[in-house]
Amino acid sequence: MNNRLLINYSPGSTPIHKLNGATKVFGFLIITVYIIMTFDVRVMLPMLILCSIGIVSMKPNWKPILLILSFLFVMAGVVGSLMIILIRPTSGYTHTGGETILIQWTNHFFISKELIWYVSAMFFKRICSLSTAILFILAITPSELAAGFNKLGMPYKICTVISLAFRTIPDIARDYIDIKNSLMMRGVELDSRKASLGKRLKQTVFILSPLIMTSFGRIGTIANAMDLRGFSKHKQRTWYSERDPTAADWVARAIILLVAAFCVYYIVYIRIMNPPPFSYWTPWGYWNG
Amino acid sequence: MNGKKPVIQFNDFNFHYKIQNKPTLHDINLTIYEGEKVLILGASGSGKSTLANCINGLIPFSFEGNITGSLKVNDQETRDMSIYKLSTMVGTVLQDSDAQFVGLSVGEDIAFAMENDNIPRAEMLPKVLQYSTEVGMEDYLLSLPFNLSGGQKQKVALAGVLGDSMNILIFDEPLASLDPYSGTVTIDLIDQIARNGNRTVVIIEHRLEDALYRPVDRVILMDKGRIVADTTADALLRGDLLREYGIREPLYISALKYAGCDINTIQGLDDPSTLELSDENKKKLRAFFESQADIQPPVLGEETINVDNVTFSYIKGTKAKNVLKDVSFSVKKGERIALIGKNGAGKTTLARLICGIDRPNAGIIYINGENNKALSVREIGEEIGYVMQNPNQMIVKDIIKDEVELALRLKKLPDDEVINRAENTLKTCELYRMRNWPVDAVSYGQKKRVTVASILALEPEVIILDEPTAGQDYRHYMEIINFINKLNAEFGKTIIFITHDMHLAIENTDRAVVLSESELIADESVFSVLSDDDVITRANLKQTSLYILAKKIGISPEKCIEHYILYERMVRVDE
Repeated sequence: MNNRLLINYSPGSTPIHKLNGATKVFGFLIITVYIIMTFDVRVMLPMLILCSIGIVSMKPNWKPILLILSFLFVMAGVVGSLMIILIRPTSGYTHTGGETILIQWTNHFFISKELIWYVSAMFFKRICSLSTAILFILAITPSELAAGFNKLGMPYKICTVISLAFRTIPDIARDYIDIKNSLMMRGVELDSRKASLGKRLKQTVFILSPLIMTSFGRIGTIANAMDLRGFSKHKQRTWYSERDPTAADWVARAIILLVAAFCVYYIVYIRIMNPPPFSYWTPWGYWNG
Repeated sequence: MNGKKPVIQFNDFNFHYKIQNKPTLHDINLTIYEGEKVLILGASGSGKSTLANCINGLIPFSFEGNITGSLKVNDQETRDMSIYKLSTMVGTVLQDSDAQFVGLSVGEDIAFAMENDNIPRAEMLPKVLQYSTEVGMEDYLLSLPFNLSGGQKQKVALAGVLGDSMNILIFDEPLASLDPYSGTVTIDLIDQIARNGNRTVVIIEHRLEDALYRPVDRVILMDKGRIVADTTADALLRGDLLREYGIREPLYISALKYAGCDINTIQGLDDPSTLELSDENKKKLRAFFESQADIQPPVLGEETINVDNVTFSYIKGTKAKNVLKDVSFSVKKGERIALIGKNGAGKTTLARLICGIDRPNAGIIYINGENNKALSVREIGEEIGYVMQNPNQMIVKDIIKDEVELALRLKKLPDDEVINRAENTLKTCELYRMRNWPVDAVSYGQKKRVTVASILALEPEVIILDEPTAGQDYRHYMEIINFINKLNAEFGKTIIFITHDMHLAIENTDRAVVLSESELIADESVFSVLSDDDVITRANLKQTSLYILAKKIGISPEKCIEHYILYERMVRVDE
């Protein structure tokens, strides 16, 4: 089951895996802020390199990662960029401040150097966000996630519910498959070769009622099992999966703090106090107007 | 026992669930002492689980209702305590070992109660190791619930309630989802735990023979919310209470009775391996087992399913592990077959292959002589019906009649034919009277019948039933089994049971197909399977008490089991 959906259920053994849950959650939050705050390729690039090194160092199962990346490439890279080019070719000018037309068909359909830069930078940003997400998902187990969020102040009941959700995903998936099979044997055609998509969607409704029934049954039992073992007895709880911070954690936290400091500087000094006239930096620079 | 300290005291205790019209427990007076091991026995609906839930605090915490009288646990009135307070004294292992697995790994699940108790992680780790060692799961601390067998999950659940302050452990039907061998391991483990550390153990079961695999101090028999007997296992086995209250008698006791032995003269009746047989009784037994039982072998038709050298694995490629390897067997029309093997041996996969949900990597499955590769799942569904273990996973519609008609409507049959066939099926299944009832309003056993009916409406030749009797008490078990046997005897349906339940296999099937570690290791009569030590070990089965009895009187176990089965069938036909 491990890594089948990218989700790690048992902790891995690489240096990043061994970090403490709170460090991982904290790091993820800061990197997310970092990626959100900027459209500047020069700022994003180092983070992408760091994330890529991180991902490679965890020796992941590449198959699902490549699948997600190729999906992103098609959807955001090809389809998304084409949409911008077709619908609003002036975006190049609005975001970078220049317009060097390369090809022009009509007044509304043209390609400029800046437009190409803009869609590429946009795509680059999406790759960065996705890599961060992949890095985080690969690095953390649901239990560490729960423990980490709790350490950062989220109520533990919510955290436990999150980890329980991950606990039950495979069970519900299995129930779903079982129910689907039994319905197929009773003549509900769910075979993609034999029934149209619309029809299959309609037939899928049949699966929902038994799926909900069995899932409710599960919830009832698990709630009792938790009560019987004293869940929500105290205001606080401890976490078995929360490793004690090691030297590596303190180093990682220091680095994350530095990144956080840079974020504060960048947001306050560059984005708020001295905002550039255009959000996208270009190598040929119109920033100074 | 009276010198000991009472830990659980019921005094004129009554309980009435808020959502039910009538009280569930009446006038319970029961005292359980420190260090005692008590079996609470009773059919479904006898109130035995309700009794346990009163002790662990789920009543009234999760299930509201009205309590009168007094229940003290460790000298404190339970209604004055919170479930949390009780949870530090009473540990409960629930019936469904999968659903109660809260953690994402074995270690985490064992630690769950400690986490809630705010115990620092540094103290938690050695405790988790200690508890997991106590149940023999110390090598699996990082394992995920999805990779564990039912028996292993149950061990984890047990380790999770071994806290220091726990002096009462409750096991709610611990055997319900285990194969026979894992069941004995569990009973053994419970026995060990009860011996170490002076814990009081309460086991709730309706499977008397399996529960008595290790001795208990006392048996409490319940019926309709009342305690009808509070005695020793030995005394209970001698009396007639078991039959009266719908509890299945152990096989060896039935055999002794059939043979005409006077069981009141036999010592040590609660354990077949220590029971003392006089020469006279031995003689009677031998005479019984050696007499000829007269029963017609079933008349079999032509071949309906032929599994020819089938190999299957979920992952393709050279290093893939085969889930099934070179499996071959055939099924004739009208046969009743048991498909046996431990969890993960490939039973369900084999059923899925036959139904066409998965397709073999090598080998061919013939259905009525036709290669099933050419047939869609739906087409196979008209020849072979598959009834899942949990009826809730199958029922789609709200009204019984609609559920039975569903498959026919999907086939787009003309209206009058749909109604006709559905009516006939409902009558066959004795559901006609309830045809307009909502599915939610009927019992579990009736729901099961609804699912069989919904399959039967398609008029399949073969019906595959996955654990049809799991979690059923003897009365409901007999109800389901009699119904299935009727389908076989009167309507000539071929029946394939996928089951752990050896009683079911012994009494209701002609042949057993046994799988172990992806391979077919036996395909012969049930009694030969049950007297073959090698097969028993490899398939996680266990020897029946008849085997032990046969060894005791020095006759061949195979013959003994065969005779017993034939005799039992004859008796039942007469009834």
